[in-house]
Amino acid sequence: MRAVPYDPVRTLYRTLLIFDFVAILILAAGLAEFLYFEPPGQQTGIRATIAGVYQYDPTTNKTFGPERSTFTRTQLFAAVVDWKSLPPNIIVDARWYDTLESIVGSVGPGTPAQLESQPIVPVALPTNLKHNLPGQYIFVVERWANGVPVEVLARRIVQVERS
Amino acid sequence: MSAIARARAANPRPRGRPARYGVALAVTAIVVIVLVASSVLDYVFLDTIPGRTALYGLLAVGLVTLGTFIGVRAFDRDPAVRRRHLIRAGVLLGLAVLLWLLVIDLYVFTSSAGPSVAAICAAACLPTTAFGLVVVRRLDRNEKEPWRLVLVAFAWGAIVATSMVIWGESLWSAIAERLLVPGPGLDVSTAFSAGLLEELAKGVAVLLLFLVMRNEFDDVVDGIVYGAAVGLGFNFLESVAYMTNLYAIFSPDGVGGYAAGFQWYSRQVLGLFFGHATYTALIGAGIGIARQLHGRRQQAAAVASGFLIAIAAHFSWDAWVQFFPIESSALGLVEIHLRTLIMTGPFTALVIALLLSGLRYEGEALRDQMQLEATEGTGAILAPEVPILTNPWRRLGQRMQALTQRGFKAYFALARLQTAQLDLAMERWHRERQEIDTPLEAEYELRKRVIELRRQAGFQPAG
Repeated sequence: MRAVPYDPVRTLYRTLLIFDFVAILILAAGLAEFLYFEPPGQQTGIRATIAGVYQYDPTTNKTFGPERSTFTRTQLFAAVVDWKSLPPNIIVDARWYDTLESIVGSVGPGTPAQLESQPIVPVALPTNLKHNLPGQYIFVVERWANGVPVEVLARRIVQVERS
Repeated sequence: MSAIARARAANPRPRGRPARYGVALAVTAIVVIVLVASSVLDYVFLDTIPGRTALYGLLAVGLVTLGTFIGVRAFDRDPAVRRRHLIRAGVLLGLAVLLWLLVIDLYVFTSSAGPSVAAICAAACLPTTAFGLVVVRRLDRNEKEPWRLVLVAFAWGAIVATSMVIWGESLWSAIAERLLVPGPGLDVSTAFSAGLLEELAKGVAVLLLFLVMRNEFDDVVDGIVYGAAVGLGFNFLESVAYMTNLYAIFSPDGVGGYAAGFQWYSRQVLGLFFGHATYTALIGAGIGIARQLHGRRQQAAAVASGFLIAIAAHFSWDAWVQFFPIESSALGLVEIHLRTLIMTGPFTALVIALLLSGLRYEGEALRDQMQLEATEGTGAILAPEVPILTNPWRRLGQRMQALTQRGFKAYFALARLQTAQLDLAMERWHRERQEIDTPLEAEYELRKRVIELRRQAGFQPAG
């Protein structure tokens, strides 16, 4: 009986197949993480009301001027949420994300009744910086379940201009 | 009966081109259709700056495609025809690069930091990227790939692959930001988008080289070289984009230079070989292994494996890099290196392991084929030449000897002879393994060419 000659290419091929298994594990872990933070079947149809995004005065903790969707880097701004528009038996929060997707302002989580005293959600300046970063800022009102935000109830996008 | 007469074509196709050219044409057509359709859709529905870049950049992409096509035709054995095609391809590729840089400057970088900052960032990335390309090309110690193909791979990574992913990632991001909760879930979604779209866009280049340039795509080593070159091209343009963007964001606070400099270090020094170069080298390794497998199913599995591992490697970095935060103290300098080593190191180690195994196997096979050629007494490879040809340092030593004794002309004549001899050994190896679709006449021509080069060089081996 003649022995099958050894072919190193088959060893390389088998090495690839072993790492295939590792790759599948990595992608499966990623999918599991995604499903944990974005669990299916969480759409309740509830909608929160964002009254608007306005310029903000930190000394008085009040907003002023007309509703806007663009600001300069030196202007402070805040979103105003109507917490009464939400059902009382849910847990919610509100957050600002800057252009680098860092959280730069939030209230909650808590029930809408607990958050009624905080309708204004200002954007905080990034650490060690004098002004807001330029780019897109996203404001979201989120519903929580099992300790993580699972549904966006309202969303507003504003632009901070470079100059 | 002579040894030459005993040899046979593994898959003789005396007329017409092999079927793989049809596959390559189909892949190219799909790439062009995707680019055109997506650019128009992106422009109409998203109306973003990247969308406009993709639309106006289509001309540059078209020129790259045409230049590549003509460049491939330059592989005619007639020197006059080759030179004409190479000049045409070079002009077209040069125009495409210039046009693309112009578009990028005008529509992306100028709007944020201005063209001068973009030019400075590009200039900062050029030496490191060039160093990376030289190192990657030298990895193939037995038979270096031609610069023109390495540069075509680099250009694809920098220009075509980046323009292919701009639309896809913009669209994915726009949809995800409207549907998903910001935070880890959205981050994972973005990581899937980057891993999938960027690796597919880069991998197409290696796949096309595999389909069209089979003579210059021998095994796993070549796949790694071409893949890494594509990755370096992608990394070059991505580095310039990130550096310029972060400069624009942080320059009003006086720290734009630091932000851009940090990006340069992490992408052009630390991540030069650990990032995109590793990911696309994994795709190249899969395709290179498929090159030497026989069954269609195994070939498809090897190609798919390369893509899958590359996608997973890229995904794991993008999705989980946040779990390794870097402190702003001196310890951060150690952490940033450790993070790269821990997260990308295992994949780079896999590439190195495949490369070393491939080099060893290739070296042994070439030595065997050279010895056989010498034994057959055709005059193309002589017995004393075998130990020199199988050792890159001894090859260089022999060329240097020719340089010092007979000048540059002798050096280059000997270099051409050595390359042709290695090509002949490689051709014999592929024919023995039944993995070549060129007719046997090609091997005869190669042998005649070696003998002619030896005559022109007037070279007699030592010993």
